[in-house]
Amino acid sequence: MLKIRAIKLEVNTTSGLFGANYEFTNGLNIIRGDNSTGKSSLFQSILYGLGFEELLGGKNEKTMQSALKDQVEFPDGKFHSINQSFVYLEIENKEIVTIKRSITSDARKAQLVDVYSGALLTGSDETLPSRPMFVHDKGGASDDIYGFHVFLSEFLNWNLPEVVTTKGELSHLYLQQIAPAFIVEQKSGWSDFFATLPYYAMRNTESRVVEFLLDMDVFENEKRKQQLSSNKQQITNRWNGLFFQFNKLAEKSGGTLRGLEQNPSIINSFGSIYISMLKDEKEIAITDFNEQQKAELTQLEKQQTTTVGTNINKNEEVLKKLTDKLNQLSLNYEMLSPEVNYDKEKLKQYTKQLEAVQEDLRKNKGALKVKSLGHQLPAETASDSCPTCHQGIKDSLLPSEIKQTPMRIEDNVSFLVAQHKMIEVYIEGQEKIIREKEKKLVTYQNQLTEARQEIRDTKKELVQDERLPSVLEIEKRLNLKKKVEFFSKVIEDFAQLMEELKALSKELERLLSKEKDLPKDFFSVEDRKKLALLQENFIALLRKFNYQSKPFEAIRISNDNYLPVAQKMVGEQLFYNIKFDSSASDFIRCLWSYYTSIFKTSIAFQTNHPMLLIFDEPKQQDMAIGNFKSFLSELSQFKEQQVLVFASFENSDDSFKEATHGLKFSLNRIEEKLIKPIS
Amino acid sequence: MEELLIKKLSFTKKPIPLPAEYRPMYKIALIVMILKVCCRGESCNLLKLHLFSWALASEKNMKELHDYVTSNFKTDFSVWGIEPALNRALQLAVAENICDIVNGKNYKLTEKGNKFYEMIKADMELFEVEKTFLTFIGKSHITDSRITSMTQKWNLFYVEN
Repeated sequence: MLKIRAIKLEVNTTSGLFGANYEFTNGLNIIRGDNSTGKSSLFQSILYGLGFEELLGGKNEKTMQSALKDQVEFPDGKFHSINQSFVYLEIENKEIVTIKRSITSDARKAQLVDVYSGALLTGSDETLPSRPMFVHDKGGASDDIYGFHVFLSEFLNWNLPEVVTTKGELSHLYLQQIAPAFIVEQKSGWSDFFATLPYYAMRNTESRVVEFLLDMDVFENEKRKQQLSSNKQQITNRWNGLFFQFNKLAEKSGGTLRGLEQNPSIINSFGSIYISMLKDEKEIAITDFNEQQKAELTQLEKQQTTTVGTNINKNEEVLKKLTDKLNQLSLNYEMLSPEVNYDKEKLKQYTKQLEAVQEDLRKNKGALKVKSLGHQLPAETASDSCPTCHQGIKDSLLPSEIKQTPMRIEDNVSFLVAQHKMIEVYIEGQEKIIREKEKKLVTYQNQLTEARQEIRDTKKELVQDERLPSVLEIEKRLNLKKKVEFFSKVIEDFAQLMEELKALSKELERLLSKEKDLPKDFFSVEDRKKLALLQENFIALLRKFNYQSKPFEAIRISNDNYLPVAQKMVGEQLFYNIKFDSSASDFIRCLWSYYTSIFKTSIAFQTNHPMLLIFDEPKQQDMAIGNFKSFLSELSQFKEQQVLVFASFENSDDSFKEATHGLKFSLNRIEEKLIKPIS
Repeated sequence: MEELLIKKLSFTKKPIPLPAEYRPMYKIALIVMILKVCCRGESCNLLKLHLFSWALASEKNMKELHDYVTSNFKTDFSVWGIEPALNRALQLAVAENICDIVNGKNYKLTEKGNKFYEMIKADMELFEVEKTFLTFIGKSHITDSRITSMTQKWNLFYVEN
């Protein structure tokens, strides 16, 4: 727990030393001071000592009132300029430390904090060792040695949780963000739940704070979910990289990749992923393709190298076959090439259509907006009724003789959206067709070149000396050998990529089943108990404080943001912020109840709550003194914990007596002025 | 051929999609913007409204009018579309008291029309393209006398043909 043991203000003025000393005990402490005695200055000094002054709406000394930094007024009407001022705050968890921080000082910046290891204010030892630290400067919340808030969270035994920032990164929750759940400031603190929460570009901070204070498991689950989603992103990236490599390999070998999807999916049969090659107009797998080549090569190697003479007849036959092949290939090429052009033209048209639909969609959305503006204007035309004769006009400018009913604009928009999607699908398909055909064209072209080369070589051999060995055959054998080597290498690379793919698919499988295992909502059994108790406490307190704006059956604690919500009508499933239907004073009762019920629930479950509540002038909105008394009596029951209430009791002794009659508490009375001369 | 065993056929009329240009409030909104942004005294004659309404129908038309203005009225541009839909929208706008007929031939924006314009203007995303175009043309480029001189060409055009 965090216990405030004592506070000391030390103000050096041109007229000597001024200051104030207060000590606080366990249980309820009432700090009573009439208006403008400096009650709030004392409250603010506690925040300042803890480095929580952001709750007052700023950083460092500028958040403090002039009585602590510019001039002291004592007695009324007489002013003394301040040369130097310090706040000392003695706090206790398992040990006691004292914090010293300057408000005005030429020698020390307000970011500097001295932490004395011991009770400097209530103890007798004035020579305690101290360590310098700093707040708010970069590193104040993260530097292990010098960061004051790092020290403070260690002091409180708090393991600050990580939350997701608006940029999607992880960052620790700041102490200043947790403080508004147990310290409520007078000026803006009573305007809303967590009204003084400083903004640090984090999402749903209030909910995270409640989850932390109640030590809920949902926090861990939420984090796990975020981690899984970031793992998934990594797998997707690696998958994309692999997919790209596979395709590149296929392209290099002149084939097409089959059976692998671009998006990560669990693969069960890896055999269906292969590179397909085109041979004699048929598709075969690259492994079979290479086997055939190998067989051909062994066949060739078995044969004796023949001379040109013996090959003449064979060569003539080969030449004829080659010429036929060449013709067939050129024909294929000639046929396919205009097809591609035609397909490209079609793609252009689709693209044009897409643009037209987009433009139409834009205009229709405009029309929809203008129509709703017309309702507000108001214009009768917007309600499809003629402004002169009040007959229906069907939302159309077509002549009334045309007996067609146009779609409502909303339908028209969704109609166009559907069209837009359809055309996009067309375009995607068309682009795929073009890619495949272009690839085929390239294959044809390569085959053509190859065939021409063979024809030239054969022809050359036909006119050579008949006694020479057949160069053609030697060349063919060498070429084939090279090809076999090349494809063997491709197959090897492919197998390697395949191994990676298998590993990735396994990883994906594990990840997906982990994702399945995540609970639908992230609450554990314990969490539900805590939330139930929170709600029970909250409603019981509202009852006690005489809340009347809504029936109690209609009030819940939201499972989304843990704030109180109310049903619009009993029985309806629509909940919204309780603030909307509560009167001003009833909303103050909500705030009392809410912060107190978080406190109570935390005590029951022994969670992370600092076991400290500090309220500055909780009697707002002309609250009846009787209700205020109920509140104080509730607070006075926390004997083991600490509650500080700063209040003026309408500057009246009677009110004070009425509100505190019969309660057990420690009183600190600010007489006259907070800052007084010290002799 | 097999005989079809259909005893009864019925047809249901489905609503048809309609271009935004044929939506009354859409057209009225365009009229309001044209009168406010491109017309001196927030009033102009029917032909000028037709010119702008035609221009706003497509990007191609907008470019044509844009080029005509930037070339200091030198490009060959004299004919634009006249559509009955605009006339119907104008009738509605007058009935709604969004604009008035003054001097028997000019349309002028009323106070209610001005209010409608402010509402349209407040939404930054609404009619972004149209707003940019109309603001570019402004009040001074296409005046009533410019319209008259343009339409005079129609007569010549007729005579020569």
